[in-house]
Amino acid sequence: MEGHGTLLIRAALVLYSLGLLNSLYSVVKRRRKLFKPALYAFLLGAALHLASLALSSLDQGRFPVQTLQQMSSLASFFTTVVFLAVYARFKYESLAVFVFPLVFLLALAGALGGSSPDAPRPLLQWWISIHVALFLLGYAALFLTSVAGVMYLIQERELKSKRPRAFYYRLPPLAKLDEMGYQALSAAFVTVTLGLIAASIWAFAKWGSNWVVDPTIALAFLTWGICFAMVVGRLAVGWRGRKGAYFSIMGFGCAALTWVVNSGAHTFTGQ
Amino acid sequence: MTIQLVGMSHRTAPVEVRELLALSDEAAGDLARRLARAQPLEEALVLSTCNRVEFVARGERTALREEVFRCIGAFSNGASVDPGAFYAYEGRAAVRHVFRVASSLDSMVVGEPQILGQVREAYQRAREGGTLGGSLEQLLARAIRVARRVRSETGIGRMAVSVSYVAVELARKIFGDLDGRSVLLIGAGEMAEAAAQHLKRAGAANLYVANRTVATGERLASGFAGKALPFERILEYLQRVDIVISSTGAPGHVLSRKTAEGVIAARRNRPIFLVDIAVPRDIDPAINDVDNMFVYDIDDLQQVAAANLKQRHHEAAAAERIVEEEVERALRRFRAKDAAPAIVSLNQRLESIRRGELERYDSKLRDLTTDQRDAVEALTRGIMNKVAHHPIRAAKRSASDPRARVSLDDIRRIFGLD
Repeated sequence: MEGHGTLLIRAALVLYSLGLLNSLYSVVKRRRKLFKPALYAFLLGAALHLASLALSSLDQGRFPVQTLQQMSSLASFFTTVVFLAVYARFKYESLAVFVFPLVFLLALAGALGGSSPDAPRPLLQWWISIHVALFLLGYAALFLTSVAGVMYLIQERELKSKRPRAFYYRLPPLAKLDEMGYQALSAAFVTVTLGLIAASIWAFAKWGSNWVVDPTIALAFLTWGICFAMVVGRLAVGWRGRKGAYFSIMGFGCAALTWVVNSGAHTFTGQ
Repeated sequence: MTIQLVGMSHRTAPVEVRELLALSDEAAGDLARRLARAQPLEEALVLSTCNRVEFVARGERTALREEVFRCIGAFSNGASVDPGAFYAYEGRAAVRHVFRVASSLDSMVVGEPQILGQVREAYQRAREGGTLGGSLEQLLARAIRVARRVRSETGIGRMAVSVSYVAVELARKIFGDLDGRSVLLIGAGEMAEAAAQHLKRAGAANLYVANRTVATGERLASGFAGKALPFERILEYLQRVDIVISSTGAPGHVLSRKTAEGVIAARRNRPIFLVDIAVPRDIDPAINDVDNMFVYDIDDLQQVAAANLKQRHHEAAAAERIVEEEVERALRRFRAKDAAPAIVSLNQRLESIRRGELERYDSKLRDLTTDQRDAVEALTRGIMNKVAHHPIRAAKRSASDPRARVSLDDIRRIFGLD
């Protein structure tokens, strides 16, 4: 039965690759023609991806966040969803140049392992599955925040330099990037907070309190801290613009590092 | 019968010549009717703007040119117009020229938007005047579609090339849309006024004018429903507005960096766009280094305008590719249209021969069974289709490839069509 899920995600992958092609094409050839087809391919890809996730869940009787592959796959799905939500609101095609390749790579990582029958491993409790899913969603939103941040920094430099080059023409206005980043950040803050609460409750029950020093967990807290600082800084003292952009890139860097430093008491798969 | 074009533009004729042929809408309509009636021309359209006159018609090569020269005398008040000021295109080149003109690739300021409206009007007028037949109708409708495609797929018209409009474009790059943004004019210069008008048209809502002479400020403010302020209240308003246009005659800086830092703190970092068109400058250029404050002086604006113009020319290259593609497509479509009636009449011709022969042998075939009758029907139809197969293919090929060995006329002649 697990074949269906794998087949679907491979089909989704092919559709995502059209997005990747669009990114390359628009960077190299500077034509916008491919964007609409790529966007529709992406929508369809997301639908297939969702079906694939649902099928895998049904087949295995658990939420598909058991292996690193499954997590990659889910992360790529969430990134797509967040991108589509942001695109629906702001309509800036240049976002896609950053987003499409990441989605493709994550989906590729998710599809390559497939659902190879791993050695039987204890089931993650649904509580932890929720924690993982919330974090992945938060990280996807953080990625969008940091993309907005990078685009902000580039556009700001163009405007300050007063010598418009290619980016000036192709990137969205500063205020819109700022707004986009802040909204994605707010979403990230909420989901990461909830994810952290879910995990903390579970970890206290299981390990007591000595897990906080674990590097992965510390990084997750740091990520949350950065989100928190940004939201508070913006509301209280009007942190925005360049400062906000730096923080958002740092926030996503931290999240990415969490993914890399996957060790200690907390590993993403196993325990 | 191919599409012919004779025209004159800023590329080939100076304004002294162009002004002789500046036609009113009415005159252009009359001229088009006169051309369409002239033998051996069919269909005509005249496009007249301050930078060009174009005569488009369907007919033989020299006929249009001669007729145009005959008509011109009447419209140019007797002044003679140098024939060298005109260009003439035929067929593919004429189609390309019409597409390029509509897409603003042949304009003096490449990418300017007015020409498409003028083409549309000329088209509308010719339609109402009854001088368009199928071919020009299709050509013009296509030209308008191509121009729209060029506009949406390239950035040819997107960037401002005049200094006061550059300010608006920069404001858009900072704030996104300008709806409800507020503007403060410091000083009441002419250029500041022009920029303010542009901003207002782009959606800016509240305009304030602070001028040393209050009466002048009030006069300017009333011009676009703004509010005049005493000069001393500038600082207070700097904390509120989004865009500042400064153009005082003051010898020193009106806004220093130190003051600006206080302003941005009070604004809680909400960005502000400071346009300084005064010489000597009103706003300390070092303020540009403060986060969320963007300072542009007159040279900066000019620099952006120049970069935009360069960008337009860059986009024009992409636009030329689109035009080339569309010319190919249009010509294929036109030729396919030519081939269709020939193919239909060929089929009709063969079918009528077949029916005629069947009727002739009707008495001999009457005794056949239904099955046998069907067989005769299928047999004759089969022969007809096999005979028609190659000529139809040749007709289609001649439609898609002008260098095909057998032309549509050959096919018509061989089968005695028409």
